[in-house]
Amino acid sequence: MELRIAPKMTTMQKLEILTDAAKYDVACTSSGIDRSGDGTGMGNTKLAGICHSFSSDGRCISLLKILFTNECIFDCRYCRNRRANDIPRATFTPDEICELTMQFYRRNYIEGLFLSSGILISPSYTMELICQVVVRLRTQYHFQGYIHVKAIPGADAELVHRTGLYADRMSINLELPTAEGLRMLAPNKNRKKILTPMRMIQALREENQNELMLYRHAPKFVPAGQSTQMIIGATPENDYQILSVAEGLYQKFGLKRVFYSAFVRVNDDAMLPALPGGPPLLREHRLYQADFLLRYYGFLAAELLSEERPHFNILLDPKCDWAVRHLEQFPVEINRADYRTLLRVPGIGVKSARRIIGARKSALLGFDDLKKIGVVLKRALYFITCGGKMMYRTKLEEDYIVRNLIDPKEQVPFSKDGMTYRQLSLFDTAVSVPFS
Amino acid sequence: MTEPINENSNEAAETILICEDSIEGILTGVYEAYELRRPHHTIRLQIGEEQNLRLFCVYHKVQPNEEKSSKVMRTIYRRFGEDAYTQICQALVSYDMEKADAVYHTIVTGISGSYRGNLMDHLSNRYVHKVFQLSRNTGIEIHHLLGFLRFKELQNGILLARYHPKNDVMALLMPHFADRLPGEDFAIYDEGRKYYAVHPKGKQWYFVRGELPFAQEQEIYTKQEAEYQMLYRHFCSSIAIAERKNLDLQRNMLPFRFRKYMTEFVQID
Repeated sequence: MELRIAPKMTTMQKLEILTDAAKYDVACTSSGIDRSGDGTGMGNTKLAGICHSFSSDGRCISLLKILFTNECIFDCRYCRNRRANDIPRATFTPDEICELTMQFYRRNYIEGLFLSSGILISPSYTMELICQVVVRLRTQYHFQGYIHVKAIPGADAELVHRTGLYADRMSINLELPTAEGLRMLAPNKNRKKILTPMRMIQALREENQNELMLYRHAPKFVPAGQSTQMIIGATPENDYQILSVAEGLYQKFGLKRVFYSAFVRVNDDAMLPALPGGPPLLREHRLYQADFLLRYYGFLAAELLSEERPHFNILLDPKCDWAVRHLEQFPVEINRADYRTLLRVPGIGVKSARRIIGARKSALLGFDDLKKIGVVLKRALYFITCGGKMMYRTKLEEDYIVRNLIDPKEQVPFSKDGMTYRQLSLFDTAVSVPFS
Repeated sequence: MTEPINENSNEAAETILICEDSIEGILTGVYEAYELRRPHHTIRLQIGEEQNLRLFCVYHKVQPNEEKSSKVMRTIYRRFGEDAYTQICQALVSYDMEKADAVYHTIVTGISGSYRGNLMDHLSNRYVHKVFQLSRNTGIEIHHLLGFLRFKELQNGILLARYHPKNDVMALLMPHFADRLPGEDFAIYDEGRKYYAVHPKGKQWYFVRGELPFAQEQEIYTKQEAEYQMLYRHFCSSIAIAERKNLDLQRNMLPFRFRKYMTEFVQID
């Protein structure tokens, strides 16, 4: 039974509407699992993911990111597709989605499918539709590429479980960092409805990993893990709160990634902030930098920020900022320090630290060798010694180091988002901009 | 009185082995360098003809030999491990003309056993470092191309991709696509080096030397192909957030040199 109120749309029209509707969901990497094809279908995946293109906002295009439908019974204030908005609505058929995915995939346009949806009739009804698409893509079309599926908050647990057996990654958006923020801007959702399926997916993944140890060919459940997304700047939480939430998600829910999406004012709603400077891009950038520090560099959120200093430094990235506030830990001797200590030096990343440890087995390293290895000496030189000597005679003093580290052109890449140099010079070292 | 024969007349000179620019050619050169039984620091490997011939150097031309090169390959794999093997293979397809000598002396360093642990860790050695740099350069290009290569469906059902890589990476790309599209007839054409790789449906892929019999302008697509190109173009423009427009960042991530063959960037009239 097909009830049609609007004229029939072409696939092109639907694609434009439903791509536009999905574009604020940034949680779409194609990484997390290495899988070869088995010869009977089409597709494989690469662990690091592959970027197929880059859009004019500079972001990676990796998956066919669409909504199944942008009809929605919810009325979340920040969302373009909210019930109260009068915008053209469209819905794909499962076959349309499968055909698009396969045809784009074989031309090497995409790594796979990213499927989300507005809520049609009820969360469980929508989840059932999404499940159908994914099952069809895998079993009828024999697609073996990457599938990332959103779990709908409030949907039946059994549906989420069934979908997870066919998808590579599942995600549920936290949307706002605190329960209050959620209550204010998305009254149809609540924390429990979002965290419950997250917890369930985590438990099912653990169970599945045990199964796989016993029986190698057991069907895999969400092998590439879970991710989530938070909107930055729509509600007044500070950076410390946001980072603590992210840390909690990594530690307690076993998430693979947390994504941060700078708030873009798409709706004219009194509850949404005005944001005269545009979307808070620098803040989002700092959060991503801090997120990497949590995941790869062994930092804790409490080391980077605190109740007294709840915001990031706009002049220095979080790692430099930490180093400058803890000069008692430096200088670090390159030829002796262990991996964890090397990681804490500004200018030394994960790859450089590993290469240093490998290279120093056979020879004592000097500054020339460090340059070859890929260490950013411009930053690191204030914090390291090679064979006991520093590169130049520098003082281990906060003001001096910060003055040299700050290169306005280098440290603030987003000169177009409203941050002017006049603003920067008003601030002393290591003072941050309060959220306003 | 007979003249004393100068027994050292050959030893003082440097020996230069001229190899063909291919993995087989260079590894044969490595094998023959070992066959010479001379001190390794007196031997150099080179690609192609020397422009300025040097005095006191002996030049040998090396004929590629499959048996010799595969012996060297096996040794590399067994002794140095898969990681070093991959890095050396990537360095060998690089466009840099110094690759042969760098790889040769890296292998020498590894076999001599003067370093413990992973061969490619010892970046303080200038030959190992050079191989590492070449391998990284090639590796980055491969990673880009896996994403940026674009296939078009021709009227006879074959998927054709054109590209122009700096390094000769075709052999390193094909296994990925062969695994990804086993049920498709597809081909990838290297416009710079004028050869292509063909993968028939369900069979082993192979190389073909020579230019494609038709130019890009003469390609005839299926009607479906034109539609999907348009769909993808619209997809790429719909997905961008206007408030975050940043063409500099886009250019950093996607250099202009790749865009010539990417359907979403090609200007349509």
